[in-house]
Amino acid sequence: MLSYESLLEMFRQNSVGIPLITRKVVLYHTASKIAYIPPLTSLFAKIPILNLIVALLFWKPFFAVLFAPGLVCILIAILFIIWFERKVTARVQWRYGPLEVSRSVGGIIQPMADGMRYFFQEVIVHREAHRPYFLQFPLITFLPVLLPILVIPAGAIYAINTPYSIPVAIALISLIPMIIVAIGWASNSKYAYIGSLREAMMYFSYEVVLIISAMSMVIIYGSANAFSIVDKQSVVPGIVLNPFAALAFFVAIAMATSRFPFEIPEADQEVVFGPFIEYTGIIFGVVMTLAYEKLYLLCMLFSILFLGGWNGPFIPPLGDLSPAFWLFLKTIALMMIFVFFRTFYARYRLDQALKIGWSTLMALAVVALVTGIGLGAVNVTGWL
Amino acid sequence: MEEYSVPVPVKPPAEIESLELPVPPWLGEVSKKGDELVLFVGPQHGGSGHMRLIVRVHGDVIREVIPDPGFVHRGMEKLAENRLYVQNIPLVERPAIMDCVNFSLGYVRAIEKALDMEVPERARYIRTMLAEVCRIGTHLYDAGILSVFLGHTTGFMWPFALRELTCEILMRVSGARITASYVIPGGVRRDVDRSTLNFISDAMTYIQQKSKDFEKIFIKNPVTIARMKDVAVLSKKEAIKYGIVGPFLRASGVEYDVRAIEPYDAYDELTWDIVVADDGDSYSRFLVRVNEIQQSIGIIRQCVKALKDMPEGKIAVDTKGKLLDSVKGAFFRMFGRLTLPAGEFTTLTEASRGTLLYTIVSDGKSNAPYRLRMVTPGWYYLKGFMESLKGCRLADLQAVYGSFGYFPPEADR
Repeated sequence: MLSYESLLEMFRQNSVGIPLITRKVVLYHTASKIAYIPPLTSLFAKIPILNLIVALLFWKPFFAVLFAPGLVCILIAILFIIWFERKVTARVQWRYGPLEVSRSVGGIIQPMADGMRYFFQEVIVHREAHRPYFLQFPLITFLPVLLPILVIPAGAIYAINTPYSIPVAIALISLIPMIIVAIGWASNSKYAYIGSLREAMMYFSYEVVLIISAMSMVIIYGSANAFSIVDKQSVVPGIVLNPFAALAFFVAIAMATSRFPFEIPEADQEVVFGPFIEYTGIIFGVVMTLAYEKLYLLCMLFSILFLGGWNGPFIPPLGDLSPAFWLFLKTIALMMIFVFFRTFYARYRLDQALKIGWSTLMALAVVALVTGIGLGAVNVTGWL
Repeated sequence: MEEYSVPVPVKPPAEIESLELPVPPWLGEVSKKGDELVLFVGPQHGGSGHMRLIVRVHGDVIREVIPDPGFVHRGMEKLAENRLYVQNIPLVERPAIMDCVNFSLGYVRAIEKALDMEVPERARYIRTMLAEVCRIGTHLYDAGILSVFLGHTTGFMWPFALRELTCEILMRVSGARITASYVIPGGVRRDVDRSTLNFISDAMTYIQQKSKDFEKIFIKNPVTIARMKDVAVLSKKEAIKYGIVGPFLRASGVEYDVRAIEPYDAYDELTWDIVVADDGDSYSRFLVRVNEIQQSIGIIRQCVKALKDMPEGKIAVDTKGKLLDSVKGAFFRMFGRLTLPAGEFTTLTEASRGTLLYTIVSDGKSNAPYRLRMVTPGWYYLKGFMESLKGCRLADLQAVYGSFGYFPPEADR
């Protein structure tokens, strides 16, 4: 039976160790006196209910989904990347970009201001919409966004350690297009219909390539467990071992998250945000960030498969957060590359994207698979 | 809580009936069968401009596009009947404000034709120079719109920033950034001084340099070429049949330019080429206009050189044939009671988007035109634009729109 004490003990046994907030911080010490700040976590250690909540927050599975690499990190990444996208595009185009909201820091809180504006805007549900589905699908999108975090570890912080982490993560991420198609159906309008059709077609064109190129890396490492994959990249990152797979995966991410030049389902000059055309207010804010959330997840997978994941110099004050920090840094750098495409690419047509997906990209993925099987057969990671 | 229903007889208001969309009845039948999707694009759509396009889509392929123009119809021809001849000059510029000098030039030349006026040489060169400045501005505007229709936002911002220079030139010469109202019967409103001429030639150098960057990022971009090559092809025969005009006709391989065939102003004294392409697709329609910008820069350079060699002054002529240095203070004394001899006077002008026709019908007595007929290039090539869309993909709708540079205010007048 689970008692209060045993539950507390279970949380504390498997808690995240961050010296910055869980250890005493010594301010100064002379011959006889030591002055220190008590650790933040011990503040509530004796208070009955609060200590359980604090222990739960620092419990590793909960921390992974809620803080790093989960919800809080996603929010930070989205707020930064939306600002960065607008700013870098503006700089290329001889403009200032977001500035007036906070002049001293280059308008970096502009996405937050936009979010607040969305929050107080009226949510209009048009007469033709399938009302319950129209309103609940945007909230359901958080499920396929947050569930993959359970199996994508960030160093010591992880929820589930499974030998199938990469396939499970890809399978859960693949649920996002289903929900977008469902959103298009619930909107019940012609442009939403065309947009969700485009989304389904794009899904059809990139998904096979994405899976093949990820699996070719799994074959090289001989394991689908994220921990062993990252361990084997401690000397040579995966992008050097199999650049074809990296390129195919990279382009597939651009297709999957509707980045330029494959921003086809949401093309605002053609179908005016496609599946999301009827949304207003905060619900539009939620569905608009969906592509960025997907981008975050797939970039995290890319850095685990090809860039050595959380490998990086250990930072003592961060403790368990240090690997998560390196993973976050690599993910953000990748996202910055993806959003930069907006400045110099136009948009392909749907049939051209399908053709690229099933000819050039598929050929690249097959080459990657053959390379992967070859390197896996000679066990290249064994003698590196 | 119990609910009570109160039977109040409510009839739909009469406006509902009258606001019915102008759709032919068979179109409703088509959309009910389920084979085709009838899609309304515009007038409140990011990629439609001020018009409605009714698109019949089968799968992803467009079967037919029915235009519904007229959302920005302002009745220019009727308005012109109630104003003095000179008051119509600002009016006829309004359809295409970027292209103001070309538009007022056509109208003014019709008046000059009626009065048999001989325009001084300096005024002719200034007019030619400003007409070409407006051509560059319009082509840059259209290139920007095409870019943003393809989703290329950098290709949208750069030409718009370059167009700022053409506005600046118009401002320094005439005092207005757009709608200059600078061309008057018998000449131009005021002279151009030497420092402005220097600025114009510097601005041309700048535009020429910066358009190389634009070429790298948009014109030679593989995605742009993939989107526009072999899309919406109009053969030479079709282009003539549907009455396409201007750069879009030249893109189909027809060597027709009013500036060369019936030269007006200083065009026959300058050296320049007619830009022609053979493919007739969206990409060549765009490339023709890009190359025309280069030709216009050449024409402006020649004009600037000629104007620098000429003595200043003598930029207008009055109705009695007397040369004037300036029309300051004398404008309404000269043209307020202007009356044209009875008859019909027609001029053709090569505006940026194609042939522009003006016909003034005068009764010989009144100081306002009896009738002003004005056919703008947009109205000429609307049919060809709609025909070329047949068989394209739905995503091509905006790309072809941008490749034609269709501008509803210009076509609707």
